[in-house]
Amino acid sequence: MKRPLLLAAIGLALLVGFPFIVENPYYIHLAQTIAIYAILLFGLDIVVGYTGQVSLGHAGLFGIGAYTAGVLYMHFHAPLLLTIVCGIGATAAFGAILALPALRVTGPYLAMVTLAFGTIIQILINEVTDVTNGPMGITFSKPVLLGMVLDERAYYWVCSFLLVASLIVVHRLLRSHLGRAFEALRGSPIASDCMGVSVYRYKVYAFVISAGFAGLAGSLYAYSERYISPNTYNFELTVLFLLAIIMGGRKTRSGALLGATIIVMLPKLLDDLALFRYVSVTLAVLVTAGAGLLVARGKTTLARSAIPVAGSVALAVLSFVLTSMTDWRLSIFGLITLLVVYYLQDGIVGYVRQALGWRGHGADDAAQAALLAAPASAVSTSTAGGAGELVAADQVLMQFGGLKALNEVTLHVARGTIHGLIGPNGSGKSTMMNVLTGIYVPTAGAIAFKGQSIVGRTSARIALAGIARTFQNVQLFGEMTALQNVLVGLHHSYRSNLLDVALHLPRFRREEREATARAYALLKFVGLESLAGEEARNLPYGKQRLLEIARALALNPELLLLDEPAAGLTAPDIKELVVIIRKIREHGITLILIEHHMDVVMSVCDVVTVLDFGQKIAEGTPAAVQSDPQVIKAYLGSEAH
Amino acid sequence: MLTLTNLHAGYGKVEVLHGISLEVPKGQVVTLIGSNGAGKTTTMRAISGMIAPREGKVMLGDVDITGRDSHRIARLGLAHSPEGRRVFATMSVNDNLLLGAFPRYTGARARGDIAADLERAMDYFPRLKERRTQLAGTLSGGEQQMLAMARAMMMNPEVVLLDEPSMGLAPILVDEVFRIISRLRAEGVTMLLVEQFAAAALNVADYGYVLENGRIAVHGPAEKLKNDPAVQAAYLGGSH
Repeated sequence: MKRPLLLAAIGLALLVGFPFIVENPYYIHLAQTIAIYAILLFGLDIVVGYTGQVSLGHAGLFGIGAYTAGVLYMHFHAPLLLTIVCGIGATAAFGAILALPALRVTGPYLAMVTLAFGTIIQILINEVTDVTNGPMGITFSKPVLLGMVLDERAYYWVCSFLLVASLIVVHRLLRSHLGRAFEALRGSPIASDCMGVSVYRYKVYAFVISAGFAGLAGSLYAYSERYISPNTYNFELTVLFLLAIIMGGRKTRSGALLGATIIVMLPKLLDDLALFRYVSVTLAVLVTAGAGLLVARGKTTLARSAIPVAGSVALAVLSFVLTSMTDWRLSIFGLITLLVVYYLQDGIVGYVRQALGWRGHGADDAAQAALLAAPASAVSTSTAGGAGELVAADQVLMQFGGLKALNEVTLHVARGTIHGLIGPNGSGKSTMMNVLTGIYVPTAGAIAFKGQSIVGRTSARIALAGIARTFQNVQLFGEMTALQNVLVGLHHSYRSNLLDVALHLPRFRREEREATARAYALLKFVGLESLAGEEARNLPYGKQRLLEIARALALNPELLLLDEPAAGLTAPDIKELVVIIRKIREHGITLILIEHHMDVVMSVCDVVTVLDFGQKIAEGTPAAVQSDPQVIKAYLGSEAH
Repeated sequence: MLTLTNLHAGYGKVEVLHGISLEVPKGQVVTLIGSNGAGKTTTMRAISGMIAPREGKVMLGDVDITGRDSHRIARLGLAHSPEGRRVFATMSVNDNLLLGAFPRYTGARARGDIAADLERAMDYFPRLKERRTQLAGTLSGGEQQMLAMARAMMMNPEVVLLDEPSMGLAPILVDEVFRIISRLRAEGVTMLLVEQFAAAALNVADYGYVLENGRIAVHGPAEKLKNDPAVQAAYLGGSH
């Protein structure tokens, strides 16, 4: 804990003291610009780094922030603080509009739509001359705060203060349940929905919050430049922002700061030949040393690191060959960018972290979690309702084109039982799971859970109503740790809002502590506590399946659907799994189990339903089903299993 | 045909394999058994170049393939049927199989009679024949698994790595997969097999290695391992 605090204190002192060290107003102005860009990048990183969406509309949002401030200033002479608050609000509203296409399209399509959004904003600003003064732009006088006229240095402090405030808010936000929800969207949208984290809602949240920071940055920028015109908020700027995130390193605040510094300072440095020589030599030394370190540690091969080393050395040599910078400036900027983006795919910060072998905060959080007091019981006990039917699916028809994946299947599951669902591959078992969890809406038929129809409800609502599941092809949030995966399942236990999170109010602190302790206890329940800090994608397959069970239990389900939990497990692991399944049932949770390992099915199930070609061909006790000639023919095969 | 010497490999900072040495002689089926997390899949990935080994050597015939890119290793005749059926979902069954023969089209491997081999693959897996024009993504899990195996065979490989071929299959299909493996073995195909059903794997294999925590604990002829009380207790409990 001590080292980060010390580093923060030094950083803060440098930030505050900068205008005393460098008195040239030109450089103070550049520092303002870096702070402003960094605020925008914090927000952009939420969308790009965490939720994994592309946005080419952020220059447009930046422009909306600037013009909200500009219009209020020009027409109403509104004070600085008011224009900033309105800038944030108006831009956040536009962020919600930008989120709408992101709900329907992804990847290159989303890039095109957001690009169109940015272009339209720019054209609108240009055309609505009455409001925005059109191409003429808006000129500001020096900003006034609380009756004081702010000079370059004072305004720098305002920007720095807001930079630090934004940093703290964004950092807290992203490490809370909200941040985990954003990251879960990237890992697996289907699993997010099935954990009660609505993909729809959290995509909109991410865009709105991201736009809010773009609005803050935009309005600050207007006062910093003291002149705004529509041309500034163009496609180039949007690409520059994305580059800054990629170069600095996504999913890190330090990466955003570094990225902002690079996009502001690098073109300036390239103006000056002497400075350029200095920079390129430093770069060459850093790249060579870094590559040497990685090769020595066996993390990369000599052949792979040869090109970046050669490239940076060539750049350094070129800097001494050149006699004038002007003709070469943009080409060299492009080359450096290309080199960084191509070779440091985790950005500069990611590269440095890897080279120094730093652990992410996820591992530290997991270590902390182990020290928390364990809750009374990790797995919720479901006793409500007593006996009776929990699920009643009647005459369910699921049609894909001409294919009837489920042909009028009726499935009734009694409370507190383990209900097996078996059948040949492609017989409709997984389709049944998807229908029960709202991923598919059945073509016809009725499904009641606890006596209420769930047909047509969203997956997230069904999950919150008490149906949790695991997936046949594991759907974990790969870049998140095991502990964080379970915490996403516990998302429903949080009541904290944005304010609680940003200010770390007692409510949030209590909820976070309780959820972390509970998540750790759930990991313990499935025997994964020693791997709490490991990224889910690094776990072996069998452990990933257990982690999915822990995550599903976090929902406090009354019904748990397990889709082939034993697939890929060896005999001893299967024995452990059977013990876990029995323990879950002892807590009163009803289970539906799809499984091909007949010994598992036979030893734990109370009732077994057999599907073939979308139709129910048998149902009864395991023993009765096992000796059913039709089941043997379609599924078990002639040999005894 | 395939020889690993003191192989170390892992992910990130975690080392999973701490020095594996094993040999797959030509025309034999060798199986690798062990509990989850022991390093079976990691071994397969390190062989086929999906991850770079940190230390040690992988030889395919007399060629050192340690740390080479996976597409180069594939062209040298090593086919990998990966865990979890990675088929090309938006392409037809037929095209998936022809892609398996890609190195033969480009001249990286002897061309032979691709059309005849395609028919032979369909013959091995009659279910694929029925569905040859269907998109691979619409196949059931079991059919995708068969497609992945058939695709690996289309290369006319020197060595096939089969990672969990029976995973997620109905019991009736598990039997079929093992029948196919025995048939391929009878034809002289060299295979390294990783299987959850250790007993069934030892039944079709010539030789077996037991992996424990990233190290080879025991190895020997399949017959002998099957009757080894320690191996029986740890890995052969329960049938499928």
